[in-house]
Amino acid sequence: MSYIIEIEDLQKHYDNSGERFHALRDIDMKVRRGECVILKGISGSGKTTLLGIMAGLDHPSSGKVVVDGEAIAKLPDRHLSRFRGKHIGMIFQHYNLIENFSVRENVMVPLVPMNLDFEEVERRVRESMEVANISHKASMSAGRLSGGEKQRTAIARALASDPEIILCDEPTANLDRANSERFVEILSKLHDMGKSIVIATHDPIFDHLPFEARVVHMEDGRVVEEGRES
Amino acid sequence: MNPILLDTQVQIYLLSEAILYLLMIPAFLISLKIIPKWDFGSFSQEQYALEREAYLVMTILIFAFVMKFLLLPYFVFAIDNLNTLVPGAMCAAGVISANSYGMPLLFVKLFLVFALILWMAVNHYDLEAKNYPWFKIKMWIFIAIFIVASVELWLDFSYFLDIDPTRPVSCCSALFGQLEGANPLPFGLDIEKLLILFYLSWSLIVFAHYTGQTLAKLLATLLFVYISYYAVVYFFGTYVYELPTHKCPFCMMQKEYHYAGYLIWATLFGGSFGTMAASICKIFLKVDTGKMESLSFAMLNLFTLTVSLYPLVYRLQNGVWL
Amino acid sequence: MGNRTFAYFLALSLFGEKGRHISTVLLSILIVFLLSSVLFISSSLHSVIENALREEPDLVVQRVEAGRLVNLPLKWEEEILSIRGVSKVTPRIWGRYFTGVKGKSFLVIAVDFLDENSHKTLEKLIGETELKTFLDGRHMIVGYAVMEWMKSHFYKEYYNFIGRDGEIKKMKISKVLPKEDNALFADTIIMGIESAREIFGISEDEATDLILDIPNDAERDFIADKISSLHYDIRTISKKESRAAYDRMFNFKGGFFLSLFCVVLLAFVLILYQRYSQVYSREKRQIGIFRALGWSMGDVLKLKFLETLSVVTGSYIIGVSIAYIYVYILGAPLLKNIFMGNGNLDMELILPPVLDFSALSSIFLLYALPFIAAVLIPVWRISVSDPKEAML
Ligand SMILES: Nc1ncnc2c1ncn2[C@@H]1O[C@H](COP(=O)(O)OP(=O)(O)OP(=O)(O)O)[C@@H](O)[C@H]1O
Ligand SMILES: [Mg+2]
Repeated sequence: MSYIIEIEDLQKHYDNSGERFHALRDIDMKVRRGECVILKGISGSGKTTLLGIMAGLDHPSSGKVVVDGEAIAKLPDRHLSRFRGKHIGMIFQHYNLIENFSVRENVMVPLVPMNLDFEEVERRVRESMEVANISHKASMSAGRLSGGEKQRTAIARALASDPEIILCDEPTANLDRANSERFVEILSKLHDMGKSIVIATHDPIFDHLPFEARVVHMEDGRVVEEGRES
Repeated sequence: MNPILLDTQVQIYLLSEAILYLLMIPAFLISLKIIPKWDFGSFSQEQYALEREAYLVMTILIFAFVMKFLLLPYFVFAIDNLNTLVPGAMCAAGVISANSYGMPLLFVKLFLVFALILWMAVNHYDLEAKNYPWFKIKMWIFIAIFIVASVELWLDFSYFLDIDPTRPVSCCSALFGQLEGANPLPFGLDIEKLLILFYLSWSLIVFAHYTGQTLAKLLATLLFVYISYYAVVYFFGTYVYELPTHKCPFCMMQKEYHYAGYLIWATLFGGSFGTMAASICKIFLKVDTGKMESLSFAMLNLFTLTVSLYPLVYRLQNGVWL
Repeated sequence: MGNRTFAYFLALSLFGEKGRHISTVLLSILIVFLLSSVLFISSSLHSVIENALREEPDLVVQRVEAGRLVNLPLKWEEEILSIRGVSKVTPRIWGRYFTGVKGKSFLVIAVDFLDENSHKTLEKLIGETELKTFLDGRHMIVGYAVMEWMKSHFYKEYYNFIGRDGEIKKMKISKVLPKEDNALFADTIIMGIESAREIFGISEDEATDLILDIPNDAERDFIADKISSLHYDIRTISKKESRAAYDRMFNFKGGFFLSLFCVVLLAFVLILYQRYSQVYSREKRQIGIFRALGWSMGDVLKLKFLETLSVVTGSYIIGVSIAYIYVYILGAPLLKNIFMGNGNLDMELILPPVLDFSALSSIFLLYALPFIAAVLIPVWRISVSDPKEAML
């Protein structure tokens, strides 16, 4: 069985003014290739922190994090960044678009450091905008998009580098019902494409997905319970 | 005030050197802080901060490196222009020998260029690897560079402050011309043997390059730089000037000779320093230095070709050797 | 990297947000313009002097009494000619003629029209071979600044010199030297040797100085020493010495300017540091997002560095071009006076365009090096932005 994400004995604590706060404790978690995992838990339980560590955005305090065969817990910045750009598509809670860039330029951002031909870059941008259903707004500046469009731009951007792993942090927190459902549609498309997906959310819409998914409950920085849903 | 110090180019040169040195001071202090604390395996926040600070050292050094590279020809150019202010001097040779700081300064500069190339190479391979294997070596090299740069700055100021515009100096014909009986060539060579040794050491480099014998290549390159210096000054240079008695490493950098000297010296030192740095990396770090080696090798060959063409073209045009 | 995608992003960050760089660019252009104007003027003057020196004699011999230049006896000519290595000795008559107690002065140079050499130089100077009118001795050629002064004093065709003996010598103006190429001759009057002798009251067996031809460069210093030892009151000036004197003069002015400029430069550096820190702190989040999306510190460093380099080279090219127009096409109004600083006559110096490597590289070093040094730390600070920034 091949795992795309393997986390062993992961600890993460913050030291603020002499006090130690444990954001994550003794996390052991494995994600199979092509699997979809839903991280659930109340606010402050450590979901975002865990996603950040999986993406190599944040460093663990100790433990082992192996993503797609690469131990990313201790990697020099150059390799870590390259790894992140190539293997991980991130959809942030607040979308994190560059407001004064157009949709197309936003989608291009992760492709810049990859040293590709311009034609290849344009092809990838076009394709990922199609998958995310945002091609019609390609040259509109991101600041003027609606919430749903921003969300889809963020998805297109996450797909641009054709990563194996998609990480989403509260993807529907700022969307209405209709847009949330469209998101789930796109998500199932991604699932069919064989991407491994991890979603941190409290939105009940993810309780009934059109495809199989595993739910992982978190509490106080620990994984408390795992279950299966569809 | 000393008129030398009022020369625009000298002022700009000294100012630039001083600024670069000022920039290197924080880099030096940071390195001193980093070296004892560096432990890449550690998960501490401090270690991540050190990694970021190491990037500052790197940024400063790469900038300093590029600038030092540009400042070396500028320095030669500036002292060449000073020949009007220093009695007796016709080119940079006279000016550089105006006091006892000149030649050491030039050597320190060349050494620094070599050390910087070496640092850049180690830095490159260190960043390529996934665990900063040569981080401390790199930092120590920088500490050494900083010390040499301090000496350089001191020599810079001592040299220019000490040039006496009333004291006559010798011109290049007196400095490099053959004195009666005294042979300026090393190992008691004559011109013919010098040339044989020149092409021999070059062939040795070519041979070592294609057979991948790194140590042999390093040694051959060392010999080659040394011999090349004399070969250029005492043989090839005379064809640049088209005058058998004109022997000078500096005049060829003047406009009359189409600044050929800059090309000749840049390819010689660039190529051999590159080869040496690559060989050292290959021997001690055991990394694949293919790209750097080919580039330096190409430069050495360009050098050999350039200097060889001068006598050949002269021979073709005039039907005789000098 | 270094591909088209990267170039596209470079352009985006340069031109995307208008006004982000505009103040820096304008300030930089001003700095480069000031710096290049001064260096252009000085290298142009340098070339004027270089040209003039080429015509200068190898060695000049003068007589000095109590530190004052006096006429020398012509019998020295023979003595010096007998020294080995001296191929030719020519006596000269010249002097400054003052138009009144508090008046202006002209440099009067006398030429021996029978002498072949001076004949040739003169031909070149006025571009005409018709020198016959001169031979009657009552004609002169004047520099344009002299002509202007004379016109303003109602002398249109001739000028009345007052000789040593108090008598009036009337000299006709036969030609005005054109402004171009003859910048150094603006306040000069050229006339026949006899007229000059009369005006300055120099007798037939005396001369102002002697000029020597010494074909072998290497012998010059040695011969100068030898001549100096002939008489206690002899002074020699070699070509090299006069060049050094000129160089010193201009270096002094240039050096003075440069020291002043350093203060400006320091202010410039501080402003840049401030400005870049400010601009980049606003961009921290954006770069954090870039980092989260796979940009390494090195990638950001490269983008920001090239951005700076573009601003530096762009301002450099624009600043240098404006300075070129200002100095060589408009003739550097205002600034030139600092360099000329000559109260005598209004010397309207035409600056021949010189665009040499020395000036260009000096400008670049003096401007780009402090510029980049100033922004290095802000650039680093932004490029190590934490990718975690994007998670918040
Ligand atoms: N830099 C930091 N310093 C100290 N504590 C922090 C820091 N970053 C996060 N935390 C704490 O870590 C805990 C976990 O935060 P995290 O953002 O992972 O929660 P979450 O499960 O994503 O919550 P939400 O559902 O509200 O997004 C929180 O209590 C938070 O306050
Ligand atoms: Mg969260």
